[in-house]
Amino acid sequence: MSALPQDRDAETATLRSARFRKEREAGWKRLEKLIAVAEKSGIRRLTYRETLELSGLYRQAVNSLSAARAISLDKALLTYLDRLCARAYLVVYAPQESIGDAVWRLFAQGIPQAVRRSGVALLVGFLAMGLGALLGYTLFQRDPSWFFTFVPAELAAGRTPEASAAYLRETLYDTSNRSGAALSVFASFLFSHNTQIAILIFALGIFAALPSFILTFYNGLLLGPFVAIFVNAGLGFDLFGWLSIHGVTELAAICIACAGGARLGLAVLLPGRLSRRAALRDNGRDAVKLLILAGLMLIVAGLVEGFLRQLIQATEWRLIIGWGLGLMWLGWLTLAGRTGAAR
Amino acid sequence: MNGVTVARNGQIENFIPPEGVPITFVLASRGARVGAQVLDIIITFGGTLAFILLLAWSGVLGLAPLMALYLLLTFFIRIPYYIFAELVWNGRTLGKRIVRIRVISADGRRLTPHQIVARNLMKEVEVFLPITTLFAAADLNTWVGIAIAVWMILVLLVPFFNRKRQRFGDMIADTLVVEMPQAVLLRDLSESPKNESSQFVFNPEHLEIYGQYELQVLESILREPPKSQEGYDRVREVSRMIIKKIGYTDPVPQIDEWKFLLEFYKQQRGFLENRHLFGDSRRDKFHADRQKNSDPDG
Repeated sequence: MSALPQDRDAETATLRSARFRKEREAGWKRLEKLIAVAEKSGIRRLTYRETLELSGLYRQAVNSLSAARAISLDKALLTYLDRLCARAYLVVYAPQESIGDAVWRLFAQGIPQAVRRSGVALLVGFLAMGLGALLGYTLFQRDPSWFFTFVPAELAAGRTPEASAAYLRETLYDTSNRSGAALSVFASFLFSHNTQIAILIFALGIFAALPSFILTFYNGLLLGPFVAIFVNAGLGFDLFGWLSIHGVTELAAICIACAGGARLGLAVLLPGRLSRRAALRDNGRDAVKLLILAGLMLIVAGLVEGFLRQLIQATEWRLIIGWGLGLMWLGWLTLAGRTGAAR
Repeated sequence: MNGVTVARNGQIENFIPPEGVPITFVLASRGARVGAQVLDIIITFGGTLAFILLLAWSGVLGLAPLMALYLLLTFFIRIPYYIFAELVWNGRTLGKRIVRIRVISADGRRLTPHQIVARNLMKEVEVFLPITTLFAAADLNTWVGIAIAVWMILVLLVPFFNRKRQRFGDMIADTLVVEMPQAVLLRDLSESPKNESSQFVFNPEHLEIYGQYELQVLESILREPPKSQEGYDRVREVSRMIIKKIGYTDPVPQIDEWKFLLEFYKQQRGFLENRHLFGDSRRDKFHADRQKNSDPDG
C-alpha cells in the first residue's frame, strides 16, 4: 500500500513540496520586490534589465503555481502563489499604448471606420430627428396651440406663435449685451449641457433603443414648430442661416449619438446568433466611438454657437460656415482610415 | 469563448491569462465599490469646489470667468476623469486606489482603452443620472415621477442582481471589478525546528483516515499558536480528537500536544501528497466511502 518505512523517513525529513518551495522562493521574493516598485511608481521606473527579469520571473511564478497545484497541499503556499501571479499579471499586462497614440488611432481610423459600419443605426438616428421635425411642423401648421404642448416655456424665450416678426428677427440677429466673459459662460454651459444630452441619448439606447429614439424624436419635435413660426413670419431663410451655422454640426451630433444608442439597442433586440451579452459587447465597440464623435461635434457646435453665431450676422456667411463644417465632417468620416488594420 | 464564472463567495473561476494557468481573483464587494464611487465624487467635486473657492478668495478672476471655469471643470471631472484615471493607473481611480479595488478585463487580456471608455460612459446614465434625479426630488410628486425614481433605483441596483456584480457598463466593456490581490508568504509548517528524529511515528493506517480538507483545516489551526488558556484547551481538544479518530496508541504528554499536531501535519501532508502523485487524491475523510460508491477514476 505505502512506501517502506525507511523511504518514508527520508521523505518526511523534508517534504517534496517543501523542497520545491525552497528552491524557488528566492525568485518569488525578487518578483515581489519588482512588482512593488512597478505598482508604486509605474513600470517605467524599472530598468531594461529589470523589466526583462520581471517578465521572466512572472512566467516562472506561473509555472510554479501550475506545478504547486499538482504537488502541494500547503494551502498557504497555494494562496500565496495565486495572489503573487495575480499581482504580477496586473503589472505585466498593463496597457502599453501611450494615451497620445491611442487618441491618434481613434481619430485616424477608429471613428471613421465605426461610422461607416453603422449605416442602419445612422439611418435610425437621422430618421428619428427628421420624422420628429416633420411631425412637429405639420401639427403646428394645422393648429398652432400644439406649440405649447411641445416646447417648454423657458426654451421658447418669447418665440411663441403670437410673437411679432420684428421680435423674431431680433432673436436671430441679436448683438446686444454679449461681452466676452458672458460668451465664455454661455459656450461652456452649452457644451456641457448638450454633451450630457448626447450621452443620455446614447446610454439610454441599452434599454432596447426606444428611449434614445424617443429622445431624439422629441428633439426633432421641438425643432419643427420653431421652424414653422419663423417660416410663417417670412423669416425661413434667415432662420435657416441662423440654425445652419451650428445646427448642421449639432443636430448631426445628436443623430449620431442616437445612432450609437441604436447600435446598443439593436444588439439587445436583434442579437442574431450571439448571446445578448456578447452582441452588446461587439456593438459596444462601435457605439462608443459614435458617442465620442458626437461629443466632439457638440463641443465644436457649442463653440460655434457661443462665439461665431453672435459675431457673424450675414446669413450667407452663416450658411457657408455651417455647411462647410458639415462637409468637413463628412469628408473626414468617409475618407479617413480607409487603409490600415481595422479595430 | 466561454467567459469566467463566479463562485458563491465571490471568487472568480476560469480567469485564464495568456499563459494558460488559471489565476484566482476575488470580486470586489458591492460595498467597496459604492465606497470607491462616493470617494471619487467627493474627491472630484470637492477638489473642484476647493479650487474655485481658492481662486475666488485670491481674487484673480472675476465672477463670470469663475463661473465658466467651474462649469468647464465639472464637465471634465464627470466622465473624462474616470477614463483618464483608469487609463493611467491601469483600472484604478483615486477612490478605487484608496479602497484597494481595480478593474480587470474578463477575457484575461490587458484592459483596452475601449473597455475603459465604454464602462465609464455608461456611468453617466447608471450612476450620475439616478443620483442627480433622486436628489432633485422636487418633480417626483406625480406617479410618473415615482415610476422614474423606482426605475432609476433599479438601474442603480443592477450590480446587486447578478453574480458577477457587473454594472451595464461592465457588461458592455466585459470588465470585472476585483479586490487588489495581496501576497503574503507564510512559513512552511513542515519546516519545523529540527527535532531530533521525530518523536511521534505514524503508521500508514494512521494516515489513511484524513484527506486534504482536514489537512488544511489543521493547517489553519497551526497557523495561530495558542496564547491563552482557552487556546491551549482547544489544542488539547483537537489533538484528543485526532488521536481518537486515527487510533494512535502511543502516549502523548500534555506538554507535547502542539509538537504532536505539527508532526502529524507534516507526516499527513507528506503521505497525502505522495498519494496524490500516484493519482489517488483524497479530498476529505469520506474518500473511502466515495470510492466504493462511484467509479474510481472520478
